[in-house]
Amino acid sequence: MNLWQYTLRRLLYIIPTILGVAGIIFVIFNLVAPDPALIMLGKHASVAQIAELRSELGLDKPYWAQYLDIVKSAFTFDFGRSWTTKQEILSMIKRGAIPSLTLSVPAFFLSTVISISISLFVSFYRGKWLDKSAVFICVLLMSVTSLAYILFGQWLFAYKLGWFEISGYESGFPDFVPYIILPVIIWIVLSIGPDVRFYRTVMLDEIYQDYVRTAKAKGLSEKTILFKHVLKNAMIPIVTFVVIQIPFLILGALLLENFFSIPGLGGITLNGIYNSDFPVIKAMTILTAMAYIIFSVITDVIYTLVDPRVRLK
Amino acid sequence: MKKFTSLLVALVLISGLIGCTKKNKDTGRTLNLSIPQEVKGMDPIYANDRYSSNEVGRVYEGLLEYHYLKRPYTLVPNLADAMPVVSEDGLTYTFKIRKGVMFHDDASFPNGKGRELVAEDFVYSIKRLADPKLQGLGWWLLDGKVKGLNEWRKKYSELPKVDYTEVVEGLKTLDKYTLQFKLNKPFPQFLYSLAMPFTFAVAKEVVAKYGQEFLNHPVGTGPFILPVFQQTKKITYVKSPNFRKKLYPTEASEEFKTAGFLEDAGKQLPLVDKVVVNVIIESQPRWLNFLKGKIDFIGIPKDNFDSAVTPSRTLSEEYISKGISLLVNPSLDITYTAFNHDLKLFQNVDLRRAMALAYDVVKSNELFYNNTALPAQSVVPPGIAGNIKNYVSSFRGPNVDEAKKLLAKAGYPEGKGLPIITYDCPSGTVSRQIGEYVKKQMAQIGVRIKVINNPWPELQKKITKRQVMLYGIAWGADYPDAENFLQLLYGPNKSPGANGSGYNNPEFNKLFKTSSIMQDSPERTALYEKMNRIAADQAPWIYGVHRQNFTLRHSFLKNYMSTDFETGQAQYLNIDSKLKVKVLEKL
Repeated sequence: MNLWQYTLRRLLYIIPTILGVAGIIFVIFNLVAPDPALIMLGKHASVAQIAELRSELGLDKPYWAQYLDIVKSAFTFDFGRSWTTKQEILSMIKRGAIPSLTLSVPAFFLSTVISISISLFVSFYRGKWLDKSAVFICVLLMSVTSLAYILFGQWLFAYKLGWFEISGYESGFPDFVPYIILPVIIWIVLSIGPDVRFYRTVMLDEIYQDYVRTAKAKGLSEKTILFKHVLKNAMIPIVTFVVIQIPFLILGALLLENFFSIPGLGGITLNGIYNSDFPVIKAMTILTAMAYIIFSVITDVIYTLVDPRVRLK
Repeated sequence: MKKFTSLLVALVLISGLIGCTKKNKDTGRTLNLSIPQEVKGMDPIYANDRYSSNEVGRVYEGLLEYHYLKRPYTLVPNLADAMPVVSEDGLTYTFKIRKGVMFHDDASFPNGKGRELVAEDFVYSIKRLADPKLQGLGWWLLDGKVKGLNEWRKKYSELPKVDYTEVVEGLKTLDKYTLQFKLNKPFPQFLYSLAMPFTFAVAKEVVAKYGQEFLNHPVGTGPFILPVFQQTKKITYVKSPNFRKKLYPTEASEEFKTAGFLEDAGKQLPLVDKVVVNVIIESQPRWLNFLKGKIDFIGIPKDNFDSAVTPSRTLSEEYISKGISLLVNPSLDITYTAFNHDLKLFQNVDLRRAMALAYDVVKSNELFYNNTALPAQSVVPPGIAGNIKNYVSSFRGPNVDEAKKLLAKAGYPEGKGLPIITYDCPSGTVSRQIGEYVKKQMAQIGVRIKVINNPWPELQKKITKRQVMLYGIAWGADYPDAENFLQLLYGPNKSPGANGSGYNNPEFNKLFKTSSIMQDSPERTALYEKMNRIAADQAPWIYGVHRQNFTLRHSFLKNYMSTDFETGQAQYLNIDSKLKVKVLEKL
């Protein structure tokens, strides 16, 4: 099967996935979520007004019709307007995506590069004090709650030392840069612990393979073995780990966006959930599910590039 | 390895070069405000929360407004030329509209030039609020009050299209500048509706041009312009160049006169050139931005309260030295625990009184409000007519011994024979803690409580369906009139109306009915006070507290006071630019 056929077939999985996701969010929304009409009307909700508003929102339609609406919006990308803000959801997402990506892309890229570099470095000194200290620091970093890094980082570097902006965001390059440096650094610090531990394990798994012994027997240097052979062979788990995280980047980093007042998608999702704003929840869930499938296909394709033994079926 | 080191060095350099924080150089006349939640949009009919209505109020205006420097709160004309002529039967209100008021320039108008505001704009704007297709969130304000408006709404809820040209009897123009309302029955509080953003004037050309995007294109007559609204973390308004002649008040209540609020008397409004509203959800960045002088005033976040305010409720030295001052303002609200009066159990007044006496409000004030709130003696908060100064209710706890006696008198000695009573509350942390506190307090006299947490809409639903026994809730004033609080205990207002507890006392109902058609007068205040005493004596609720706002402001912000009715406040605020430069150097 060639690459295009494979990709097309895998992408067709989007259809049953979306039908399933639509069913799940529909059930959850109807069983668990609080009544949006009550949230919108607040303390002055009267029975008549609740009924009128529910009808206006389409909540009095039969269940099958409501389900079909979700499926339809998923395939037409017409998610309508938010019930709370009355804004067009696609515009909200487009507007929120850029600030989210300006934070998450550099942060994710840098944290991945730094983590892989550190793990290669410590694998080189495996079992020695440098490796042990690195593992210890990673565990230490992971033991502190992410909120503590944010609160402390903001207080010390932005307020006390005045190195960065406390919070806020400006659109357009390079205006946004001063606002994202501190959150990017905090993101990296937050990721280094778990990432380095994961990549180090992957590297060490490879290091004890037969081909490494063969390479050593051939007299290759540790550096060549590590960078040319081990890294290449470790690429499959690394690619899986990296690519599968990408769809979640579009959701933004909720806490960082909130604390640094970055007008990204994290806030949109959170507000949607908080206000039982079903069209927003629906849009964000469906888009994330689609992105997940697309990126898992990309992962499979990358496998074939990094490891010739992998064949698409 | 070298490359990795270079990367790190580059990162540090970039941080050093670009990351350096921009000092707050904007020392011009710009107001820098912060709000803790997103603004929903800029359509007046959907502005049902404090923050959205404040934003709407910078661009749009109504017929009336509250006098900025008078307390008790007093309505004065804004877009109306004078206060209305009210017919003797209290049913007809006739307004003259101020002439020469212009809408902001916008592409919706011919040649892009804003046109003059006319009486018909109010008819249109109020019909928009009543439009069944739009489901405006302020409809409750006019529901059942304006003659013919409910019928108009009902008719068009069943038809595909709403006809705004159809004349409604109670909402008419008599000429270009004269507007007349006819009410179904006398309702003196009607005038307060006209100072609320729901009824502010919009132009139909703008609505027609932008359609569903109208909420992003605010075009009003107000002091500030916002060309396009984007739901983001920063909203920037500029002073309207065509704003009519409107001057800073020359009269003030004594408290404002002595506090120097008349320094800008007689000056053209608005006093600042720009208003920047920063949406900062979390309290730490809001607080740090304030301390850096990037925000002009702030409600003290709970976590920073003890560092800013001393136990004697004064500002700590550290902040005084920075020129920051503390403002304390009682809020027009009340927290309470309501009984469900549909249950025979709670029709027993001795049981209600016993439970009210068992509740230690002083301790709860310490625990949940940093001792900043005022224990409520009855339903009407201080600051409005109807509240009785220094009045202490006979059933204001804690008095456990007396509570035990009353419980025995009620037929439940030491709680024997009482079922487990459920206490429903919203699911926030503090509400849950208050629930546990009520449980502990009631256990002292043998009343067993089970706390149930609910998401807010679920609690509302349970109250409406009468599926509660006890529930904890709060009420904030819609307008500064005791009627807005007393109606919560008026029998015919029983849930799904505002009287969620279902309290029904014929004597109270009779007094309320009489007062509800009376204009503001000493006689009406006397009736309000009488109802307030009944509400204390009969313990239809276990009263909680009236909360107070503790606000900090920088010395360079002038004319600011904390108020429950902030709509339009920005036009009266001023920035002392020279002082700001000096202050910012120190921060």
